[in-house]
Amino acid sequence: MTFSINSEIAFTYLLAKKKQTLVASLGVMFGISIYIFMNSLITGTNEYFEKITLSSTPHIRLYRDQEMSKPTMLDGFAGDSTVNLISNPKMVNQDDRIDNPNALIQFLKTNSQVIAISPQITANVFCSNGNVQESGNVSGVNIMEQDRMFDITSTMIAGNIKDLHSNPNGIIIGSGMAKNLSLQLGDNITVTASNGLAQRLRVTGIFRTTIKNVDQTKCYVNITIVQQLLQKDRSYITDVYVNLKDYTQANRIGEQLTALTGYTAETWQSANEQSIAARMIRDMIANSVVITILIVAGFGIYNILNMMIYEKIKEIAILKATGFAGKHVISIFIFQALLIGILGSVAGIIFGWGLSKGSSMIYIGKGNLEYLPISFYVQHYAKGSLFGIVTSFFAGYIPALRASDIDPVEIIRG
Amino acid sequence: MIALQANNINKYFYTPDQFQVLKNISFEVNQGEFVSIIGKSGCGKSTLLYILSTMDTDYEGQLQLTQQIVTGNKQDQLAAFRNAHLGFVFQFHYLLPDFTCLRNVMIPALRLGKVSRQQIEHDAYEKLKLLGMADQALKPASKISGGQQQRVAIARALINNPDIIMGDEPTGNLDTRNTAVVFDILQRLCHEEHKTIITVTHDNDFAAKSDRIIEMSDGLIVDQRMR
Ligand SMILES: Nc1ncnc2c1ncn2[C@@H]1O[C@H](COP(=O)(O)OP(=O)(O)OP(=O)(O)O)[C@@H](O)[C@H]1O
Ligand SMILES: [Mg+2]
Repeated sequence: MTFSINSEIAFTYLLAKKKQTLVASLGVMFGISIYIFMNSLITGTNEYFEKITLSSTPHIRLYRDQEMSKPTMLDGFAGDSTVNLISNPKMVNQDDRIDNPNALIQFLKTNSQVIAISPQITANVFCSNGNVQESGNVSGVNIMEQDRMFDITSTMIAGNIKDLHSNPNGIIIGSGMAKNLSLQLGDNITVTASNGLAQRLRVTGIFRTTIKNVDQTKCYVNITIVQQLLQKDRSYITDVYVNLKDYTQANRIGEQLTALTGYTAETWQSANEQSIAARMIRDMIANSVVITILIVAGFGIYNILNMMIYEKIKEIAILKATGFAGKHVISIFIFQALLIGILGSVAGIIFGWGLSKGSSMIYIGKGNLEYLPISFYVQHYAKGSLFGIVTSFFAGYIPALRASDIDPVEIIRG
Repeated sequence: MIALQANNINKYFYTPDQFQVLKNISFEVNQGEFVSIIGKSGCGKSTLLYILSTMDTDYEGQLQLTQQIVTGNKQDQLAAFRNAHLGFVFQFHYLLPDFTCLRNVMIPALRLGKVSRQQIEHDAYEKLKLLGMADQALKPASKISGGQQQRVAIARALINNPDIIMGDEPTGNLDTRNTAVVFDILQRLCHEEHKTIITVTHDNDFAAKSDRIIEMSDGLIVDQRMR
C-alpha cells in the first residue's frame, strides 16, 4: 500500500513531465547502449585475437632452456680462497632434447587440467621444387595430436591430415609455400636441413590459416623425418606442447609444471605479451568511455529531479503536512529516478543490441578477419542495465534527500 | 473531552534579531468545539497554528493532541500522527495540480492505508458530495476555481476522519458567498460529526459565528470569549 501511493505519485509526476523524462531516459539509454556496444566489441576483439594466437601457440610449451656457464667447476678447482668469477660468460652448448619424453608425457597425462599433449621437433629448412627455393620451418609432429590441439583440419584447403599420418614421407604445407613453389597435392618437394641433409617428400595436404607468415613457412611432417634430417635418434624430442581445459590458467599451471619437471614452461601469454598489453589498453579505453557516459547520464537524472523538486516544492510541503514522512518523499523521487533508469535501460538494451548487430556487419576483410568482431553475451546486457539502474538510483538519491529535508512550515508560510 | 491542550508555549525567532513570537501560550480546546483565533497581522497566529499542527517542532512548552503528548516526537511519528488525526486547510488551497480532484482527496487515505482502494475512492466521493463537488471529481485540480479548490482541500482534510481540523485563513481567498459555504460546512462538521475545529481568521463575521474566539496580540492571548 505504501509502495503503491508513492509510486503512483512518482508516476504521475513523470507523466506530467514527459519531455524531461524522455531526455533523462535518453541519457541513460545512450550510456547503456554504448556500454553494451563497447563491451561486445572489446570482448569480440579480444576473443578474435586470442583465437588467432591460440591457433598457432600452445597454452604451454615445455622445453629445455639453454643455461649460462656457471662458476661451479671453477669453485671446485680453485676453492673458496679466491672469488671465482667468469667474465663474459657464454651459453653452454648442450643438448636441447627432452630426456625420456614418454615418461614426461605419461606424467602430463595424469594432470587433470591437461587436455592435449603434442611432442615435437622443429627445424629450419629450405624447401625446394626444382630450382625454386623457399626457407621454411618444419615441425615434426604426430599430426593427429597436433590437430587435436590446433584444429588444423579446419584450415585444410586440399588433402586430409590423415594422409600424413598414413604416409611416412608425406608433408603438409601452407598455401603461401604451395603458391611460391607452384606445388599441388601429390607433388614432390625437397626439404634440406642446415646440415645439408635432404629428404624428398610428397605433399599430402595444403592448409591456409590466412596468417601470411605461417602460410609461407610452416610445414608439418612426421617426427621421424625431422629426426633423420637432424641425424638424431628415434627418441629425440625438443618440445612438448600442452593444452589446458582453461587456458587462462596457463601461467599458474606452467609454473607448477616447471617445478615438477624441471623444463622451462613458456605460456601463451608470455609468448604474446604485446597482445596481452594491447588487450589491457583496449579494456581501459572502453571502461573510461563507458564511465564517462554513465556519469553524464547520471548528471542528467540528477538535474531533472532537482528541477522537478524545485518546481514541486509546495506540493512536497503539502504532502508532508498531510502526513508523508521523509522516507515517503525519498521513495517518491527514488522511484522516479528508477523509472527513468529502467526506461533508459530497456531502450539501451535494444539500441545497444542494434548497434552491435549493425557493427558486426561492417566488413573489414583483412587477414582472416572478415567482419568487425562483435560478441553477443547476455552478461553484457545484464551488467549494462544493472549499471544504468544503479547510476539512476544514486543520481536520484541526492535530490530525493534534499526533498525529504524540506520544512513544510517554511514553504507554507511563503 | 479535551482535544487540544497547550501548556506554556514559547517560541523565538533568531533571524534577523532574536525575538519572542509566542509568550507563554496556554489554552485548551474541547472535542467538538469551533474555535477562531484572531488578532492583528504579525501577532503570531500562524506561528501558533503551525506548532499546534505538529509541523513546527522548534518551541518550548508542551502540546497534547487527542490526549497524547506530541511534544518531542520524531518527525516521522508526527507525520503519521497528522495523517491519522489532523486535517489541515490552508489559505492557498495547495492541491496537487497534476492529479484529479478525486485523487487529491484520496492521497492522505492511500498514505494511511487503513482501508481498500475502492473504499477510499467511495469515501472520497462522499466527502466531495458533502462539499458539493462530486460533479467536478474527475477534473484536474488545476482546472477548477479558487472557491472550488478550497472545498476540495476541505474534503481532503476530512478524508481520514480526523479528530481535529485546523485552518489558516481557510476563507481568506474566497468571496462572501463561498466564505459562507465553507463556514456552513465547518459548522456542520463540528455540530453533526463532533469534530474539533481551530481556525485562524481575519474575518470578524466568521469569527463571531464560532463557539469561541481567542484573541492574540504580540504573542500573547489577550482575550477569550464564548459566543
Ligand atoms: N521565519 C521567520 N523568521 C523570523 N521572523 C518571522 C518568521 N516568520 C514569521 N516571523 C515573524 O513572526 C511574527 C508572527 O508571524 P505570523 O506569521 O505568525 O503572524 P500572523 O499573526 O499569522 O500574521 P498574518 O495575520 O499577517 O498572517 C511576525 O512579526 C513575523 O514577522
Ligand atoms: Mg498568518
